[in-house]
Amino acid sequence: MLMRKALLFLSVAIVLFACFKPIREPRDPNGYNPAIKVWGYKPVYSTETLAKTIAYIPAVEPVIREGNIYAFGNYIFQIDPGAGIHVIDNTTPASAKRIGFIRVRGCSQMSIKGDKLYTNSYNDLVIVDFTDLSNVREHSRVKNIFPEFREYSPIAFPPDKGWYKCPSMDSLVIGWVMDSIPQQCYYQ
Amino acid sequence: MRILYYVYIVAFVALVSCEKAVESTSLASTTGKGGSLTRFTIAGNYLYAVDAHFLYTINITDPAHPVKAGQSDLNFDMETIYNYGSYLFVGSRTGLYIYSISTPSSPRLVGEAKHARSCDPVVANDTASYTTLFGSSTCGPATSGLYVHDVRNVQTPFLKKTIPLNNPIGLGMADSALYVCCGSEGLKVFSIKDAYNPVLIQTKPDGHFVDLIPYGDLLICRVNNGLKLYDISNRLAPLFIKEVTN
Repeated sequence: MLMRKALLFLSVAIVLFACFKPIREPRDPNGYNPAIKVWGYKPVYSTETLAKTIAYIPAVEPVIREGNIYAFGNYIFQIDPGAGIHVIDNTTPASAKRIGFIRVRGCSQMSIKGDKLYTNSYNDLVIVDFTDLSNVREHSRVKNIFPEFREYSPIAFPPDKGWYKCPSMDSLVIGWVMDSIPQQCYYQ
Repeated sequence: MRILYYVYIVAFVALVSCEKAVESTSLASTTGKGGSLTRFTIAGNYLYAVDAHFLYTINITDPAHPVKAGQSDLNFDMETIYNYGSYLFVGSRTGLYIYSISTPSSPRLVGEAKHARSCDPVVANDTASYTTLFGSSTCGPATSGLYVHDVRNVQTPFLKKTIPLNNPIGLGMADSALYVCCGSEGLKVFSIKDAYNPVLIQTKPDGHFVDLIPYGDLLICRVNNGLKLYDISNRLAPLFIKEVTN
């Protein structure tokens, strides 16, 4: 009887031991192990005020991510999710070209009515005046109306596949840089 | 029958106001036009927005003081929103949902057509809605293709036809033409003279097409690495005008 109990205990112990193999090294690319450092993306944070400041840049900015398109009057807009909105002059379609960029960090959506552009900056609804491209400015804002748009903001994820340092959700991510990071989050 | 009549009137008004949006931008009340993959749409004095879980209704009568009028507590894994007349067509991963905005401050769910899990933008008019379902590992197992629903009675959208397509994404229509972006296969042009039986007229293999906006006689296409513009004076025969590269 005692022998049988001992055997049972031993076999349970063996099974458990097999399950809890020490994970010093990942067994596959998705083996998370914050103790290991790898080369990957690290979030760059900013203060809420700075991150959510709207600005117009009257120059062609590089496209980081390609997002939704919108047409209004002689303009075409294309969202660069997380970064802002590219402005394309479409007065003459045959010579349509990029002319500027509205910096709206954390943005993912837009619509226009009259001379006001409605977009989101992370979790805020932001209404932007763009009557005159030389005077693009914030008209009004409703804070934290879209909580999900912040958590799942495109800029909360790195620009490429691979390991990245999980961003802290109490801060606003404004970009990513390469660095030595814990093998913690994987973007695929 | 009376409802149908009403829908026609609304459709007519909507079409007239669309024309205005293209021709005159000086009016403070005009809206622009978005692609089919959008989560924002403005109808009248309201901005409607969807995230995965909620439909937000925001009163923008005074743009200096936008006010949240409501937030639905429905959870459909919503992805896109499209306004036609007094209806909102919401594309979700589980189906097509139709809301009435006859009371603009409180959208009311009036009809739905469920489908297998997938990704799906939608466009519609008073007789039909066109949805592309994109089955994939992240979107779900549905058969990829163009799904045509009879929406004359919005309470009971009825699946009339399914046309299998590889990787369909954004779509849009202009009169009797329906344009469907099919990723690297190109842009597909369908005739929808017979609304429930789209006929493929041609495929333009000019790039990796993601989304588009029919804008008067111009077709604005979002492709990988830029935009492509086409003249669609002849709706079924888009003529390439210009590429705007990144």
